[in-house]
Parts: sequence; structure tokens; C-alpha cells
Amino acid sequence: MNFYITSFGIGIGLFAFTALFALFAVYAERKVSAFIQDRLGPMETGKFGMLQTLADGLKLIQKELIIPAAADKYLFMLAPAIIFLAVYMGFAAMPWAPGLEPTHMNLGLYYIFAIIAIETLGILMAGWGSNNKYSILGAMRSVAQIISYEIPAGFALISVVMIAQTLNMQEIATQQGILSTESIKFLGFWDVSKIGGFFGWNIFRAPHLIIAFVIYFIASLAESNRAPFDIPEAESELVAGFHTEFTGWRFAFVFFSEYSMMFLVSMISVILFLGAWNTPLPNIGSVHLAAWTTGTAWGIIWIVIKTLSLVGIQMWIRWTLPRLRVDQLMNLCWKVLTPLAFICMLISGVWRLWLM
Amino acid sequence: MNIAQILFYLMSFITLTSAIFVASTKNLVRSVFMFFITLLGLAGLYVLSLADFVAITQVVIYVGGILVLILFAFMLSGKETLDAIQKQKNQFISANKAASVILAVLFFVVLILMIFKVDVNNLVWIKKAIGQNSDIKLNSNMTDNIGINLMTRYLLPFEAISILLMMALVGAAHLSRKEQRQ
Repeated sequence: MNFYITSFGIGIGLFAFTALFALFAVYAERKVSAFIQDRLGPMETGKFGMLQTLADGLKLIQKELIIPAAADKYLFMLAPAIIFLAVYMGFAAMPWAPGLEPTHMNLGLYYIFAIIAIETLGILMAGWGSNNKYSILGAMRSVAQIISYEIPAGFALISVVMIAQTLNMQEIATQQGILSTESIKFLGFWDVSKIGGFFGWNIFRAPHLIIAFVIYFIASLAESNRAPFDIPEAESELVAGFHTEFTGWRFAFVFFSEYSMMFLVSMISVILFLGAWNTPLPNIGSVHLAAWTTGTAWGIIWIVIKTLSLVGIQMWIRWTLPRLRVDQLMNLCWKVLTPLAFICMLISGVWRLWLM
Repeated sequence: MNIAQILFYLMSFITLTSAIFVASTKNLVRSVFMFFITLLGLAGLYVLSLADFVAITQVVIYVGGILVLILFAFMLSGKETLDAIQKQKNQFISANKAASVILAVLFFVVLILMIFKVDVNNLVWIKKAIGQNSDIKLNSNMTDNIGINLMTRYLLPFEAISILLMMALVGAAHLSRKEQRQ
């Protein structure tokens, strides 16, 4: 019985976390955009407008749920739930600290890849169910984009898996710090198994993984439909893309899932490339900084800090770069990122065989 | 009944009812979305039989690839074409259906015969696997096994499939290219 109680506890905890994160992230996004555009952002509700998103949430819950007369009722109602569930289920395989993970999965990374694919289906469902040409155009753009960018993202992930030799997220995380059981080599020649710190991170274990990291980061922006890849929601052309017709808490769920998706993809890149819950501080001589800052609580702190900084960079990019055109988007994906990702995978194989 | 059995019956129920809905509904788009539920139910059944790799691969390929492609085809073909299909007259018994009815009945007979003939608890190949200790345990690592077998014993079929897929890719690229003016 205890097993079920903990399982449900973890599920509810993760749900509460995604909800809280969305509240925080919307506020942060508005403040970041205000800073970049030299405005103040929300200032009225609470000190520095800190209660603004809470007030927004209350407003959204009270709003009437409108179903357009011509819409396919069931598809329309189910779509936000499926979009959110797809992202939320992804969190099941994420390690938070040494020994702290919702599920122990041999195929963690592959599972996440599969779950993210379900989100595209939810988006198509929303677009088709709304029975509105803007929604359908938005959904089709979104799906075309996600499917294309899954390829460079997938190959960037495979190049890490070839170095790590496992799909288990927790094992990939453990390999990048002082808790590792195999020897880690900084740039392939300097054994840093005892030193740890940022030297052990995957991007420094094999330098071509820095390119893989950049590829994955760009592709993850596209997968979470963030600017500069926000053509699915292009306000100036499509009203609001696939979620044009949604109101009330259904709209809130679509919004929730966008922000959870940001956190999820950032967390994946942190786990695979930036040392997961490992500390960035190395052991220097008798000052065992790495050993002192490794543990369950430290692990959670490090992974949250790293992930939030990546989310911050995503926001920064959104408010800095203009939107790409469709043809530019596809050119970037197929002519630049995909070949580069293939080369990364090739180098990974050679690296694993001859340098590790 | 233990929890695994309850889960098995639940998954089978979901798979079967959604599959019947897929086959019987006239609303094509809904039937595609329902097919997604069927696939998820099947994936659950695979997980219950300790084939988690197959389950996830099925979700990646069918949900992420094939279903989305089918939906794309629907969305590009427009509402009128879909409505025309829905308005087709659908008699329960008609000569057009004879071939499919015969096929379905024959296949059903084969399935039923197989279920009655097989002694599930004493299958030879399963006994052999247990005897050689090469059966899959609850905590054994399946992906390593699949990877090693693909790269050694089944290397030729694997490569043949990759060449086939390559041909399909080249063909698709050729078809979608703009025609050159002469």
C-alpha cells in the first residue's frame, strides 16, 4: 500500500511543481520582456506585481468555457488535457538528485522522446477540433515544425547516448561527476574522476558535444514553440494559432503546458550536457568543493539553478530575436542543423572507440 | 486477481473498445484520434509483457509518425472530401463487402483455432528458453540484447531495411522537387 501512496504523492508533487513553475515563469517572462523593452511590466498587483499571475489564474478559472458551435466538441475539450498530460508525463523519467527520481527507467531518454511526440497529436487535435482556419493553420505549422526539428534533436541526443552508453537518465547524470564509477576524462586526455566539477560535464568530456548542445537547444526552442520559432502562434498572422478558440482554464492548461515544456526541455539538456545534478565546483587539492556540494539537497539546488538559467536564456532569446519565416525555418533545420547533428554523431562514435 | 491481471484486463478492454470504435465510426478524424488510444492501450499491453522497448518504439513510430502523417493528409484534403465520405450509403449487407467479410471470417476462424489448439502453459520454445536460462527476467536489460542481436545475428535484414528506407527517402525527395524547365 505504501508503494501506491508514494507513487500518487510523487505524481501530485510533480503536478504542483509544474503549476507553481508556470505561475513563476509567466511573471518572470513578463518582467524579462519589460526589462528588455525598457518598460516596468506588471506593477499593480502586489509588491512589484508579484501577485499578477495569481490574479490572472483566478480570472481564467472564473471565465466561461465557450465551445464554438461548429467545433468537434469532444476533440476540442480533450485537446488541452492531452497536450498537458504529454508534457507532464515527461517529468516521470527526470532525475532530480543522486538517488532521487520518480521512476527508475532503463529507457528514460527514449521514453521522453516518445512522450513529447504525443504532444504534437494534442496540438493537431486542438487545431482540428476548433474548426477554425487560423487554428488549423497554426496546428499544421506547429506540427510540421516539431516533426522536422525532432530529427536534429534526436541525433544530438544520440551523440550523447553514444558517449554515455546508456539511455537511463540517472546513469547519464551520475557519469558526469565525482560519483561516477567509470573514469571521466576532460577533453579525452585528463582523468578528472576525483576532481569532478564542471570538468566532468558531458560538453567538456567530448568537445563536439558543445555543438550537439547548441543544436539541441535550438531544436528545443522549436519543439516548445518559442520565438524565434513561434510561427504556430504568430500573433500578427494567425490571431493565436492552435489555441485561438480556447477560453478559461482550457486556455490556462495550454499555457501551462507551454511553460512546463520549456522547463522539461531545459532539464533534458541540463541532464545530458551540463552535468545534471552535479556541482560545477571542482575539488582543488585539499579543498574538496565538489565532495562538499554533492548530495540530495545540493543536487536539487544545482539542477534547478541550471535549468532555470536555461529557461532564462530561452526568454532572453524570445524577446531579442524576430520570428523566422517558414522557409528560413526549414532551411535552418534541414541544411544546417541536421548535417551538423549527423557529424556530431559520427565524431561521437570515433571518440568512444578511440579516446575513451 | 492481482494488480497485473486487473491492468491486463483494463488495457485489453480499452484496446478492444477503441479498436471497434475506430472500425465502426463514420467520422474519419475521430477514428484516427481513437486509433491513438488503441495504440496506447497496446503499448500498455507490451509493457505488461516486459517488452518496454517495443512499447516505446510503437508510440514513437505510430503516434509520432504515422498518425500525424494520416492527419496531415486529412487536413490537406479539406472538409468537403471528408463529408462526402461520411455521406456514403452504408448498408450492413451488400455484395461489395463480400471479399472483406470472407477475409475477416477466415482470419477469425484461424485465430479461434489457434487459441483452442495452443497449450499456453506448456509451449516448447518457452520451456527451452527457460531451460537455457535465456528468458527475460523482470529486471533484465532488454535494449542491450536487442542492440547486440541487431548488429550481429540480424545485420543483413537490418541493412536491407535501411537501404529500402533510403530508397523511399530519395524517391520522396525526387517527387517533391520542382520540375526543371526545358
